[in-house]
Amino acid sequence: MRYAVYNLSIHPPINLRTNLRINLRVNLRIPGMLSSFSSRFFSSLLFALLFLVEASAQNWAGAEGLLAGKIASATGPKTMALEVLNRSSLNAALSDDIRRNLLTQLAATGIRFLTAEQAAVSVRVTLSEDLRSYVWVAEIRQGANAPSVVMVSLPRSAVRAVEPAPAAVMELREVALWSQAERILDVAFIEGSPARMLVLDPNSVTLYRMQESRWLVEQALAITHSRPWPRDLRGRLLWRTDGDNSHLFDAWLPGVYCRGSGSAALAMTCSESADPWPIGADLFSQTTSFAFSRNFFSGTLSPGVGTQTTAPAFYSAAAVPREHSSWWLLAAVDGKVHLLDGVTDQVMEKLKWGSDIASLRSGCGSGWQVLATGAGAGRSDKVQAFESIGREPVAASIPLEVGGAVTALWTGSGGTSVVAVVHNWETGEYEAFRLTLTCGR
Amino acid sequence: MRPSGSLLLVAVSLSLAIAAPARTRPHYGGTLRVAIGEAPASLDPAESERGGREMLPSLSRLVFDTLVTVDARGQAQPGLSPSWQTDPGYQRWQFSIRRGVAFHDGTAVSSDAVAASLRTANPDWKVFAAGEAVIIECNAPTPDLPAVLALARYGIAKRTGGKVVGSGPFAIGRWDPGKKLALSARDDYWGGRAFLDSIEIELGKSFREQMIALDLGKADLVEIAPDQARHAVLEGRRVESAPPSEWMGLVFSRDIQSLEDGKLREALALCIDRESMNNVLLQGGGEPSGTLLPGWMSGYAFLFPTAIDLQRARQARDAVRQVSPWTLGYDASDPLARVIAERIALNARDAGLAMQTTATAAADIRLVRMPLPSLDAWVALSELARSLGLPQPKFDGDPLQQSANPSTAYAAESALLQSQRLVPLLHLRTAVALGANVMGWREDPDGSWRLQDVWLETGKP
Repeated sequence: MRYAVYNLSIHPPINLRTNLRINLRVNLRIPGMLSSFSSRFFSSLLFALLFLVEASAQNWAGAEGLLAGKIASATGPKTMALEVLNRSSLNAALSDDIRRNLLTQLAATGIRFLTAEQAAVSVRVTLSEDLRSYVWVAEIRQGANAPSVVMVSLPRSAVRAVEPAPAAVMELREVALWSQAERILDVAFIEGSPARMLVLDPNSVTLYRMQESRWLVEQALAITHSRPWPRDLRGRLLWRTDGDNSHLFDAWLPGVYCRGSGSAALAMTCSESADPWPIGADLFSQTTSFAFSRNFFSGTLSPGVGTQTTAPAFYSAAAVPREHSSWWLLAAVDGKVHLLDGVTDQVMEKLKWGSDIASLRSGCGSGWQVLATGAGAGRSDKVQAFESIGREPVAASIPLEVGGAVTALWTGSGGTSVVAVVHNWETGEYEAFRLTLTCGR
Repeated sequence: MRPSGSLLLVAVSLSLAIAAPARTRPHYGGTLRVAIGEAPASLDPAESERGGREMLPSLSRLVFDTLVTVDARGQAQPGLSPSWQTDPGYQRWQFSIRRGVAFHDGTAVSSDAVAASLRTANPDWKVFAAGEAVIIECNAPTPDLPAVLALARYGIAKRTGGKVVGSGPFAIGRWDPGKKLALSARDDYWGGRAFLDSIEIELGKSFREQMIALDLGKADLVEIAPDQARHAVLEGRRVESAPPSEWMGLVFSRDIQSLEDGKLREALALCIDRESMNNVLLQGGGEPSGTLLPGWMSGYAFLFPTAIDLQRARQARDAVRQVSPWTLGYDASDPLARVIAERIALNARDAGLAMQTTATAAADIRLVRMPLPSLDAWVALSELARSLGLPQPKFDGDPLQQSANPSTAYAAESALLQSQRLVPLLHLRTAVALGANVMGWREDPDGSWRLQDVWLETGKP
């Protein structure tokens, strides 16, 4: 017996779409925003991304060469009229690139190109696609013979067009971290050299190490649980910046708490637990219990906001730091945003936010902003930054389309970034991003 | 072929109606009320009519788990079996069984129970339990067995005393065969409790009755006939539509009898005006097709012509001296089938072919509608061929290439079409109308519903 079709697989760190997006969008020189670790990390990441973009380009060339080889085998070194049609989701620029490369590859086999009237062979290449792949089909017509058909296929990656963003007071930026088929619940970084990253999914906490510009699996720690996970599964992962080797990270899932420890090798113990989850990362000592068979927090707050220790059940919360205390915004299960100021529970009727919000310390404006999800164009959600002026949050950035449905939005350790997880409808993958804000000029 | 203006309008309208992602996280609770046209007499997955409409697999999957599922990209994913292995010849497979899963009557889903269920579903396989796994031995290499096991008829069921019990996300609360089905969510479902508390399904309702139920607020989800989707959009209804996937075509009852017979079949295939059939009769509710698999799934459908060529049709017809009239049978309960059959008879007469439509089952040619059975191309092709009474597609190369390479499906489909046993006409779009409170709607590209992910905005947390 040999092991076959299905098992947990290690995915490449970032797919083509992500590579291209990063290359287009990310400005890695963000003054004052990144620690030396982060700068090193992102430099490494940029190198990795550029390497991967190059690798992807080579893959295209491979497919073009393969199809050219099949066509040349069928025709021999004759004169040819070549027509390329695009029936796929590839844009015109990529289609033109493929056509040019195909011409080059065919010419290298000794084929010369003439008009359809003069050529011995007429070839029509159609760039098509099926559910999983690009399918490139060549119909070869020679004389009065019935056309012969050759085709090649290659895995499909979606390339999303990116529109340049107009100037705004603050700019929301995204950096791709990781993508995989399994639902990603949260992602955390471990400072050091080499850089490390923890990814929480329904089955495990996986430790990755940056090596030669790629994330490599170092260790996968299984999560044990006896109750089935709820359908809209959520989880929280926090690296303990103050921890020693006996307590390196914490993971919370519905009804389960896991504690990570170790030095050379990590270990993790998980137990059934109704312990409350921290909200607002490691910066605010606010906790709340999670309804273990559902997808929301119960609303019981500890230690509470001022005198308020109960709130409506909510999906997510964001702190609004004030001079001597913090207010809290809650995206409640009733679909409304509630502001807890320590005394009153005010419903913010004008806010039409989604159910995921998170605090972010940008240093811009008042220093803190709230990121909130909302409906974007088509099947894509958007994330937008808001600044609290008085009690009313107002938009502080233009919305960022994220290319899918946001399934998690958590403030990262230290608060200077937010981890967003997006379910990409096109690829079916879950993609984790790090969101930061840069100040306007 | 460029889409016409009206087609484009429909396409745009429907694409605008495609489910937007949930703006909020799903809510729990509530009862979804559904009305459909199908009226199954049994819920037993092994008895499911293989030529039935797509609703039956969608219903079946609510109650019965399969060992494997197929995702929206046609790839096998774990179901009741979290992992599987095969021998190098792809004939002997071992599927581990997920621990701690129970049937709705509380008994464990054991490897013995799974083996018994699969033996009922496919007596040709040798199936037996081996510890916490199930071994399946096939008669021939079956590299696509995981995708085959994702078909609804391989739903795992416990059969006792004439009753069937499943282990899916919903348990049967009330079952009036052919009339009503009430389902309640299982709190302990291994894949996570469904968001809805319950689903009530009224069966055997005409499209008109369904729409009235929706308008009166008695249903939250109803089907829409392919030819009514555009009208429903224009009326401002909330319509969700899948890519064209349901095959509609002609199937000859016999193999080719002579060269002349082949010529006449060629003439028939060439004289049918699929484009106007789709634009006028279907109001853009489908796509002209020359293949079994829809183009979005295969990537090569454009290689098979669909345009009418009356001149060539008449040439083929004129090559035959004596022409016997054909009878064309259609499903009398399907109003769309009747008008399509009549249009085909009209097209045939234009080419000099004699054709009489009939609502009886015994006919030279049948007009058939078949839902797309799987999102795995090879499994879909095999199932369609089996359901239509055609020879199974053959592949003699490396079994692993069977599904991995679209050129193998192309070769197999070409061979099926060259047999001239069938004439593809259209791929029909499946559509539904939803109440404003229905959220999280998901429909796979093959038109199957995922009601376990639906939630109601009015549901209590």
